[in-house]
Amino acid sequence: MRTMPVGAFPQLALVAVAGLVAGLWLLARGMAGYRDATRLADTATSRIATLAAGEVQVSGVIEPAELTLISPLQSVVCVYYRSSVDTSNDGTDVDADFREERAVGFRVRDPSGDIRVFPRAARWDAPVVLDEATGLMGDEPAGLQLRTGGAIAPSEVEREAAIAALLTVPSAPAASTLSRIGGGMGTRFGGSNGHRRYREARLAPGDAVTIIGRAVPFGDLADPTEADIAMGSDLAADDPEVLGDIAEARAAGVLEATPEEAWGNAAIPGFGIGLPVRAPELDPEAAPPPIASADQALAAERRFAIAPETLVLASAPGVPLLIAHGIPTAAVDRHQGRFVVGLLGAVVAIASAMALALLVTGAFGS
Amino acid sequence: MTAPTLAALFAVGLVVLIVAFLIVTTYNAVMALRQRIDKAWANIDVVLKQRYDQLPALVSAVRGLMAFEQDVLTEVARARAAYSPTEPIPDQAVHAEATTRAVRSLVAVVEAYPEVRSDRNVLDLQDEIERLESMIADRRELYNDQVYRYNARITTLPTSLLAPLFGWRERPFFAAAPEELARPTADL
Repeated sequence: MRTMPVGAFPQLALVAVAGLVAGLWLLARGMAGYRDATRLADTATSRIATLAAGEVQVSGVIEPAELTLISPLQSVVCVYYRSSVDTSNDGTDVDADFREERAVGFRVRDPSGDIRVFPRAARWDAPVVLDEATGLMGDEPAGLQLRTGGAIAPSEVEREAAIAALLTVPSAPAASTLSRIGGGMGTRFGGSNGHRRYREARLAPGDAVTIIGRAVPFGDLADPTEADIAMGSDLAADDPEVLGDIAEARAAGVLEATPEEAWGNAAIPGFGIGLPVRAPELDPEAAPPPIASADQALAAERRFAIAPETLVLASAPGVPLLIAHGIPTAAVDRHQGRFVVGLLGAVVAIASAMALALLVTGAFGS
Repeated sequence: MTAPTLAALFAVGLVVLIVAFLIVTTYNAVMALRQRIDKAWANIDVVLKQRYDQLPALVSAVRGLMAFEQDVLTEVARARAAYSPTEPIPDQAVHAEATTRAVRSLVAVVEAYPEVRSDRNVLDLQDEIERLESMIADRRELYNDQVYRYNARITTLPTSLLAPLFGWRERPFFAAAPEELARPTADL
């Protein structure tokens, strides 16, 4: 029997290795999907109004809480996005030019009530709403509308700002905009003539979601911003050693006495995300923003304040927060579909391993 | 060891891995289901206890004002006295249903007494009892849904193959049997 070495079929060997890796990846993804599908299918959906503390599943519609995000590729108001831009110059060499994933807290509402969700450490299953590429002539896809402002916006838009936004004709984003959201990789991102692929997955207010997580009183929640002074240590904030360190830092001039001294205008409630409650210090040529009235300030404070006994949804050890779009049955079907694809991936991996073995022994092509 | 042998071992290993994964995941899922049922029952039990504690206050608040409706009050007291957190769940369901019916009768009768309805204390107690009734209904639904998922899982393939090995048995629903629901109440 005449045998041929692997070197005779380098491309076949490459395909076999790629098939092996891809098949195993699909299997791993399918197994994770099966676990999630089981968890979703085995947990009864609670009504939010009569929720009890502990592991729960709720299903409802997303409502914005204090803040929202603006997605980078389509400028859509959302509470979560995962965006990427990949460039390929010769059709095979793909560069990840831009990757960004962000989330903010939100509320989920069902017919009985609503609950605040703190999505820290959550696993997201968001629909891909943009998956397009530049055309043959380098023209940008029609669905692309790059973000030109900040990534964070207040959840309640002022009437005047909404009117101004409606009356403004959006202009085509310049190359510099691409460079800006490229986060420092601008020359490749904005200036390249390569083929670009844009992908964006997001969850926006009004979307139906199914969430599994732990319902805990807000007062029992670990600081969601991890701004606790002694986070990660056994020391309390009033520990003499901590107080000594703080006093030492203040004496050395590296720690300001008040938030106003440390952060300036950013310490003014409402500044930059709505109406500031008092006049900020601005450049003389800058237009001063309108100041919030007492009622507006009180309403904003109520919006940000959460009573300690109020139940909120969050991740907990052993109960990771899973946020999946759609109603429970749809989310289960989607995850089970991933498991089926994972099993097909296992078949591909086995076939690839067999092909690789034949190539190694030289039996292939003999 | 030749490459084809390694490939065959890889294939067998992958199949074993998938089967082991399914067994472990199924076992963990059933254990988690049992925990969820226990938790759902504990959540019902808490509210049943709260209702048990609240009912005497409501009965004594309206007793003086509703002298001619002793039957309704007696029925509420009798139903409440039947509550026993240690008895089997189906029996508790019968007593909980009877208490709910008695409370509904009491609330309906209270509507006919303007002087009772104008009493702030009675109104507060009535609101609290109605809140607890609504909570019991919601949590009973959640518990039964959880039990349904568990029973469905352990009686269908592939979990039904593991059920005899681990002694998994169906759990009872928190619901009164139809003949119990049809039983006439004492005040009729």
